[in-house]
Amino acid sequence: MAKAIITPPYLRKGATVGIVCPAGYMPAAKTLTCQQTLQSWGFQVRLGKTVGHQHYYFSGTDAERLQDLQQMIDDPTVDAILCGRGGYGTSRIIDQLNWKKFRQHPKWIIGFSDITVLHSFLIAKLRTASLHAPMANAFNDGGAQDEYVQSLRKALTGKNANYTCAVHACNKQGKASGQLIGGNLSLMAHQIGTPSDVDTKGKILFLEDVGEYLYNVDRMLLQLDRAGKLKSLAGLIIGGFTDNKDTTTPFGNTIDEIIAHRIAAYNYPVCFGFPVSHEKENVALKVGATFALQVGKQKVTLKEL
Amino acid sequence: MNRKHFLKNVLGTAAAVTAGTTAMAMPDPPVVRSLAQPPYLQPGDIIGITCPASPLEMKDMLNCSSALKKWGYEVCVGNTVGQVWERFGGSDAERAADVQLMLDDPSIKAILFARGGYGAMRMMDRVDWTSLRKNPKWLVGYSDITAIHCHVHAQFGLPTIHGDMVNGFKAIEDISTFSLKQVISGKRFEYRSPAFGLNRKGQTTGMLVGGNLSLVAAMLGSKSSLDTDGKILFLEEVSEYKYTLDRMMMSLKRSGKLDKLAGLIIGGITATKSDAETPFAMSVEEIIFEKVADKNFPVCFNFPAGHIRNNMALKLGIYYTFRVTETGGSLTEVSSTLPLIPLPDIDSLLVPPEILP
Repeated sequence: MAKAIITPPYLRKGATVGIVCPAGYMPAAKTLTCQQTLQSWGFQVRLGKTVGHQHYYFSGTDAERLQDLQQMIDDPTVDAILCGRGGYGTSRIIDQLNWKKFRQHPKWIIGFSDITVLHSFLIAKLRTASLHAPMANAFNDGGAQDEYVQSLRKALTGKNANYTCAVHACNKQGKASGQLIGGNLSLMAHQIGTPSDVDTKGKILFLEDVGEYLYNVDRMLLQLDRAGKLKSLAGLIIGGFTDNKDTTTPFGNTIDEIIAHRIAAYNYPVCFGFPVSHEKENVALKVGATFALQVGKQKVTLKEL
Repeated sequence: MNRKHFLKNVLGTAAAVTAGTTAMAMPDPPVVRSLAQPPYLQPGDIIGITCPASPLEMKDMLNCSSALKKWGYEVCVGNTVGQVWERFGGSDAERAADVQLMLDDPSIKAILFARGGYGAMRMMDRVDWTSLRKNPKWLVGYSDITAIHCHVHAQFGLPTIHGDMVNGFKAIEDISTFSLKQVISGKRFEYRSPAFGLNRKGQTTGMLVGGNLSLVAAMLGSKSSLDTDGKILFLEEVSEYKYTLDRMMMSLKRSGKLDKLAGLIIGGITATKSDAETPFAMSVEEIIFEKVADKNFPVCFNFPAGHIRNNMALKLGIYYTFRVTETGGSLTEVSSTLPLIPLPDIDSLLVPPEILP
C-alpha cells in the first residue's frame, strides 16, 4: 500500500503565484498575459529573476536558475510556482534543490514538458502532488479564455477534474483507478535509473511528446518497457505526439501504431488522443492524485477521486 | 566438468595464489581478469552476416564480402540481408531468428552485423544469447549495435567488438576495416588520440565498455544496463542536438554511471545538429567534461572511434591500459600474448580492390 500523497493547499483569492523559468529562456513580454490573467483570477504575481533573463539557451546559469527556484520554494508568502516554460534544463539543477522548507510548506508546482522532471521528483522523493498544466505561453493569443487554461484555474482552486475525450480506434476498453503519474515521454525515459525515477506499478500513466523522430519514440517506449515501467500499469493515457519527425527511410507506422504495438501484450485500459499535449489541448492534471479512468465504447472519462 | 566442480577448482587455485602472495609480502599486482574470450579467426573460418536493425541491400554486401574473402574467410549471408520489413531488415521475430541461427551454428566463428540504424533493442530480448557460452564467437558492430554489446556484457559477461560493419566497407580497404581485420585475427594496436585542452591526464587499467551514448542511455534501468564501476567508458555519438547530448549525459550522471569510472574515452561526436533556437551554452566537449569535472580519472576526447573515418576496432569487455599525457590519449589492450602491431597512417592506401572476374 502506497503512502498517502501530500496535497498542497489550494489557492484562495489574494494568494501569490511565483513565476520562474527553471529551464529554457523566455522573453518577459511573453509572460504578460499570463501575469494579467492570474491577477484577474484574484492572485498576486511574483516574478522570479529568471523570467526574461538569458544565459545562451537557458534562462540563466545553473546557479541562477537554482537560486531563483529555491527562493520561490522557500518563500512562505509564495503559494504556488508556475514555470514560464520548459525547453531543457530542469534536470541540471533538480538534485541541488533543498526541499526542507517545501516539506513544511508544500505548494503547487505547475508546468509540463521539461517540468516533468519536477513532477516526477516530487512524487518519487517527496510524495507531493503537482500540476501538469499549461505554462505562460499558453495564455497568449486568446488562450487565457480557453478551457485548457481555465482547467488550471479550476485545479488550483480545488475543483476536482472530470475530463472526457472522444474514442479512438486504438483504444483498449476498460476501467482503472489509481494514482496519476507521467508527463513528457522524453523526460520520463530520461529519468529512468535516476533519483527521480517514478514507480509505475498500479498507476495510471499519461504520456505526451513533441518534435521527436518516430524511431526515437519507439526507442523511448521500449526503454520504458524494458525497465519494467509499462507492464504493471493500471491504465495508460496517450496525449498528443505532435510535430513528429521521420527519417529518410520512413518508419512505416503511425505514432498510434507504434504505441499500440509496444503495449499490445498488456491488458489494462488505454486511450489515445487525450487532451494533454504541446498544442493548446492541454488540460491540468494533478500528478500524484487518484483518478478513475474509463475507456468506453462511446467516450473516455478521467475523473479525479 | 560440472559447474560446481569447476567453481571449486577455480576458488581453490585462487586461494593458493593469494596465500603465496601474502607470504612473500609483495604488493598485489593489478587484477586483470578479462572476460572469457572467443577464439580469434583462422583462415577458412566462416563469418556470418545478419541485419538485427535497419535493412541492408544485397548490393551493399559486395565490398564487404569480397574483402572478407580476401582476408581468407568464408561468408555466410543471413536471411535478413536484402530483406526489408517496415524500416527494419525483417520483422523483430525474423531478425531475432537470423541472429539465433548464427549464434547456434558452431561453424560460424564470428558475426558481423550488417549495419546499425535502429532496431537491435527491439529484437534482442527474443534471442537466447546463452548459446554464446557453448559456441563463443566475436560479435562485431557499433552504433545501434551498442544495445547488443551492453546486453551481452551485462547479462552474460562476454566480450564483443566495437567496430566497422558491412556498410562501412569501401571498395578500397581503409584504416577502420584494416584495424578490424587485425583485431579479429588476434593482433592489437596502440590507438592514439591528439592532445586536447579538456583532456585530463592520468593512467589506468580497466575493462573497456560502452559505445553509442544514445544506446548506453537507453539501457538505463533495464537488465542490459552497463555496470560501469571501475571500468573505462567509451562513448561516441552522431546527429544529436547539444541539449539532447547534455540530457543523455545527465541521465548517466544522475544514475551514478559516471561516479566510479576508471577512465572516460570520447570518440567522434559528429554531425551534431545546430541549435534550434539560441545557441547552447557549451561546446560538445564542455558538455561532456562538465559531468565528470569533479572526478579524477583520465579523460580524452577525439579518440579514433565512432561515426568517423577512423573507426578503430575496440574489444569491449576486455582490459586495456588507458593513458592520457600532454601529447594525447593512448589505449592498448593488456595482453602478454597478442602481438602489438603498428597502426598505419589514416590516409595510406592499404590494399587495392581485388579485380573480380
